[in-house]
Amino acid sequence: MDKVTLEILGRQVTAAAEGMGFTLQRTGRTLYVKEASDFGTALVGLDGRFFGYPRTIGVSHFLDLDCGPTLRAVPDLEDGDVIITNHPFLSEGLSTHLPDLNLIRPYFHEGRIVAYGWCFIHSADIGGRVPSSISPSNTDLFQEGLMIPPMKLVRRGEMNPDFLTLYRSNVRTPDQNMGDVRAQLAALHVGRLSVAEMIAQHGVDVFLEAQEALQDYADQKARAVFARIPDGEYHAWDYLDDDMVSTFPVRIRLTLRVNSGRFALDFSGTDPQVATAYNIPTLGRRHAWFTARLIGCVATHDPSIPMNAGVYRAVTAFAPAGSVVNAEPPAAVGVRQPTGRRIFDMMTAALLQGDRTLMAAASGGVSTPVVLAEEETAQGDRNVVVLEPMIGGMGAREGHDGVDGRDSGTSNLANNPIESIEAAAPVLVLHYGLREDSGGPGRWRGGAGLAFTFKVLRDGCTVLARGMERCRFPPWGAFGGRPGLPFRVILNHGLPGEQVIGKIDQLSVEAGDTVTILTPGAGGFGDPFVRDPEAVLRDVILRVVSAESAARDYGVVIREGAVDAEATEALRAARPPRDTAGIDYGEEREAYEAVFDDDAMARLNAALFALPRRQRGRARLRVMQAAVPDMPQAGHRPLVEVLADSGAARLRFEDALAALVRA
Amino acid sequence: MSASDDRSAAGRGGLNPPRQTSAEVRIGIDVGGTFTDFVLSGAPGGLVFHKEPSTPADPSAAVESGLVAVVAKAGLAMGDVTLVVHGTTLGLNAIIQRRGGPIGLVTSPGNTDVLEVARCRMPNSVDFHLTKEAALVPRNLCFAIPARLMVDGTVLMRPEPADYDRVAGSLRAAGVATVAVMLLHSYLHPALEAEVARELAARLPGVAISASAQIWPESREYERALVAVLNGFIAPLMQGYFSRLESRLAARGLTAPISITTSNGGSVGLRSAGERPIETVLSGPASGVVAAAQAAAGTRFTQLITLDMGGTSSDIALTKAGEPEYTTRTTVGDFPLVMPVVNVSAIGAGGGSILWVDPQGVLKVGPRSAGAAPGPVCYGRGGTEPTVTDCYLAIGWIDPDAFLGGRMRLDRAAAEAALLPLAARLGFTGADAPARVAEAALAVATAAMATELAKGLAQRGEDASQFALMPFGGAGPTHANLLAEAARLPAVLVPPAPSTFCALGAILADVKRDFVRSLRLRLGAEGAMARLRAALSALSAEATNWLAGEGTMLAGHILSATTEMRYAGQSFELTVDWTAEAFDDPTPDMLAELFHRVHEGVYGFRDTASAVELTSLRVRVTGRMAPVELPAAPMLPSAAPPGTRRVFRAGSWRDVPVWRREALGFGAEVAGPAILEQEDSTLVLLPGWVLRADRQGNLEMLRAATSTP
Repeated sequence: MDKVTLEILGRQVTAAAEGMGFTLQRTGRTLYVKEASDFGTALVGLDGRFFGYPRTIGVSHFLDLDCGPTLRAVPDLEDGDVIITNHPFLSEGLSTHLPDLNLIRPYFHEGRIVAYGWCFIHSADIGGRVPSSISPSNTDLFQEGLMIPPMKLVRRGEMNPDFLTLYRSNVRTPDQNMGDVRAQLAALHVGRLSVAEMIAQHGVDVFLEAQEALQDYADQKARAVFARIPDGEYHAWDYLDDDMVSTFPVRIRLTLRVNSGRFALDFSGTDPQVATAYNIPTLGRRHAWFTARLIGCVATHDPSIPMNAGVYRAVTAFAPAGSVVNAEPPAAVGVRQPTGRRIFDMMTAALLQGDRTLMAAASGGVSTPVVLAEEETAQGDRNVVVLEPMIGGMGAREGHDGVDGRDSGTSNLANNPIESIEAAAPVLVLHYGLREDSGGPGRWRGGAGLAFTFKVLRDGCTVLARGMERCRFPPWGAFGGRPGLPFRVILNHGLPGEQVIGKIDQLSVEAGDTVTILTPGAGGFGDPFVRDPEAVLRDVILRVVSAESAARDYGVVIREGAVDAEATEALRAARPPRDTAGIDYGEEREAYEAVFDDDAMARLNAALFALPRRQRGRARLRVMQAAVPDMPQAGHRPLVEVLADSGAARLRFEDALAALVRA
Repeated sequence: MSASDDRSAAGRGGLNPPRQTSAEVRIGIDVGGTFTDFVLSGAPGGLVFHKEPSTPADPSAAVESGLVAVVAKAGLAMGDVTLVVHGTTLGLNAIIQRRGGPIGLVTSPGNTDVLEVARCRMPNSVDFHLTKEAALVPRNLCFAIPARLMVDGTVLMRPEPADYDRVAGSLRAAGVATVAVMLLHSYLHPALEAEVARELAARLPGVAISASAQIWPESREYERALVAVLNGFIAPLMQGYFSRLESRLAARGLTAPISITTSNGGSVGLRSAGERPIETVLSGPASGVVAAAQAAAGTRFTQLITLDMGGTSSDIALTKAGEPEYTTRTTVGDFPLVMPVVNVSAIGAGGGSILWVDPQGVLKVGPRSAGAAPGPVCYGRGGTEPTVTDCYLAIGWIDPDAFLGGRMRLDRAAAEAALLPLAARLGFTGADAPARVAEAALAVATAAMATELAKGLAQRGEDASQFALMPFGGAGPTHANLLAEAARLPAVLVPPAPSTFCALGAILADVKRDFVRSLRLRLGAEGAMARLRAALSALSAEATNWLAGEGTMLAGHILSATTEMRYAGQSFELTVDWTAEAFDDPTPDMLAELFHRVHEGVYGFRDTASAVELTSLRVRVTGRMAPVELPAAPMLPSAAPPGTRRVFRAGSWRDVPVWRREALGFGAEVAGPAILEQEDSTLVLLPGWVLRADRQGNLEMLRAATSTP
């Protein structure tokens, strides 16, 4: 089609989706909408894919969701109908956990459907075992709330009253939820008006043609970026610290196969789904949680790319059924976000191996709201306050240091002012700043994480921190760049009774206790021993890097506020040659993989997947525990100590695996 | 929205101020990248306009020479001038280019990274190449002092003399020119912070020390620290400029006071501006909006969207009933600013935005811009990439010999030559190829602007059909009709001298300052109203005292109040303008109802079950300037157009009538397509639109179908 019209319609469909988003944000009731921007809107083509998606509002990483299966599940759509679903499996991954309430409305023109409007909101509560519905320790979907298969919420403009009655009686905040539903309907209405305007301006044929043409255009642009990666196979894997049932890490594995700008993502070798809520329901196909990182990659290198599903046309994906990234019902999926974050990092690592200028080293990779809950009062009230949504730094990349204390790729939420925290919760913030020496050393330094210390002023409080990861294996460095420091939580840091806490489930604290949260520093890029000594000096003057680290990690000697050139040269020359190819995952992961390497894990998983699904978790734990009976909690004893005798552990592993295979 | 004040020291409110007397001669000055504009009012023949080439190295040089020129043009002497009102972007540029400082920051222990951590956000989540804003105060110039308050005002730590000595020593050694002090919770309990500032000042002669709560006592430590730091960062530079300006103009015989325009659409005296230069940083665009709001007074258009099309971007703002829309969430360079300012936002391409074709063969406009230098290709100043302005020329909208009244000759052939390579990429051939590229580029740029505009309205919950577009700036009137059509605005209102609008706005700007108190109270709670009333009278007294020191040009003044409010549990506030009734005697019910209404407007519902909290109170004092008498347009008969021009539209050239704007008196009507030229701009009227001149010299453009009376 005519390319001027294409450019104009590209702007208009984005604006239409954004207009829906503003309506949703203005009229939605739940705090997730107003304060965490956890909602989405889009225009959907006849194929169920998004051809108009916002750039500036709502979540950015759901561009690759597919409405097709939901649409096929509800045939005979009439003008004025609206479909509702939150069912991860029956929507085939359109909704990826139950609080995400998805609505779809067909847009008719002269008696036929010409597009659909889509939106979702993360509801404050959808029922289930715990208030707000999400808990890592949920063990199946039935505990996570009310399940709504794809069905009609509105029929020819009339709400289904029976559905509403059922819905209201199954959630803890019915009025808020109904407010959200009304906001979603308003957004879908606004989308319909925009579609009508575009058709009036350009004609229905051009509008229909544009849905395809815009995706073709995005496809061409995406491929131009993908084509920078040489053909071949790129491997990356990463770990969740544990699954909350045992202390063993959960591994996700990716093979990226590149063939002239086409990507095939293969998650074979990924561990079985877990008994807790970290699973992702993707149906094993191409899915937003697999491909989210690619939009950042493409949009960074070509900011003019239109936001639509065409970005992914050159991408296919496979994940084994029953794995943690393609969970089967009734797996709990509430806390799929940390798992998704690991996939972001693996995709980054795979792309970097193909082209070192394409991506940055690993970012802090966490988004952890630190929450203080006071004791329940006699009246049954409980003051619960989010102190800070804690994130790490951003990774270094070719030619640039990472950003300190920010990580846009994770959630990009604003923090809370200390003045607001102290007015809302019985705490005194003793320190909130950069975590010095935490950024991975490199020719370009990884962004520093954050340090946050507060003193509790009242007895009987509980500290919660959902989504803590990177406690065990830190964010990795690339091409000679070193990893950053891992996540740490310390009770009474530097005081009597100091205690390093691993991942916080629920930490009980009393008045006078201090809690220190240290978020991961991001990975460095390039060999730190070739970093410009003046840049190292600047970091030391700014106290982001200590003089000790300058000498140890960068080979730069700083004396009396200046670089000692001679000593620096000597120190740098004395270092044995280092391998600066590929990714540096750090010593802890090396120690772990000296026992549990890629090959061992592949054989273990082959054996596990041969078992019935329900037996896999326990069988896996038996083998892992046989190999390492005293696996410490993430962030406690270092694995380089625990696994010092990797040979023996390896033998025990082989024995246990053989026993499993025999059985 | 505002209330006349009859308790103030400065006299009763002046709702019916006297008309300007002929003895008053005011000069408004706006410094732009290319030209410094002057408007003089009070001369016998009406308004006098003048443009002087800017002198970026020292803007006061152009101010001096232009001032002399405009006074001479008006046939007056320097001694006749009674007031000079000056707008400058010096502070803004210093912040963007980091030309201020060096400045130190002193905070409570554990909080020295307040600027480094900021609000933890990046501008977006998909671009991995974004970097953090360059620090205004590097980490090694941030110092902790053992001074700590709790939220209830309890002093947990108070510095000893030795602490002051130590911190002052570090600051001295660092060689800072100014210091900002920000202690946690100083917005509620300013005494300790003031004490720290005082003690450090005593030990650091010659270094200006500012305390955050003295400038802007509002909660949220990062934003409050920024106000103090930005202010201190530009203060030495701005004070230097102001004193240079004063002595230059005094040497030319100027005896009148000089005022500086402010970001809230007002102005303040030179001394106030020197103390708080942060108030002036966004004043340029704000003045234009003030002028627009006043130019529309007396017309039937009560709601405007202003369009200021500059070199790098096009900016819009909303006005209702003569009042600009304000915001406390804006940015200055890379930084958020929480002081109330006229809400101006960019919607896309400006005249210097560059055209390009991407590898897929799709035509794009911007975001790169040729700006004022080198500028568009047709300027002949070294620009080689075609811009939006080159497009106007290539389709015949602008006469290359009549640009800026003929003072700047444009090179149409060069513009067309620069468009040709794009034509080849787009598959346009033949003699019309440059014009076809130009028409396509204007369509693309307009679509982008229209969608951004629609987005801005959607965010506010506003309806485009309720607004008229008022363009100003050089290119505003040229592009206005295209934008109005694409954005479905029903009308365009073009003021008499659009290109010097910001200078006109400077003359029209009232004297204005905002004062704030943080409160944290819950409506209906014990003692809440007493605290609110006490804060209201304290702020009112502070405001009127300040105004009393701002000179004698005022025709009266008004006080108005706004509060930041929210439902208990929400973490964002909404700004609520008080009614006059509320200002005179605020009650919890009245304030709650005002808040519910705003919440309903913005978020679509009210929550009467939740308590309403009030976090801060602002009082604005507006010292009213006597309004400038704008000359009425003469009644002239509609004559035949003096000429025609070949204009490219929808793929072909056609002759379009060209009018001189002066020829269109009150009541004149023109049907589109047509072009209207005046000294400082070219107005384009599209087919399907009609234009009518009103009594005040504005031109109304309406869709032909809706234009019949």
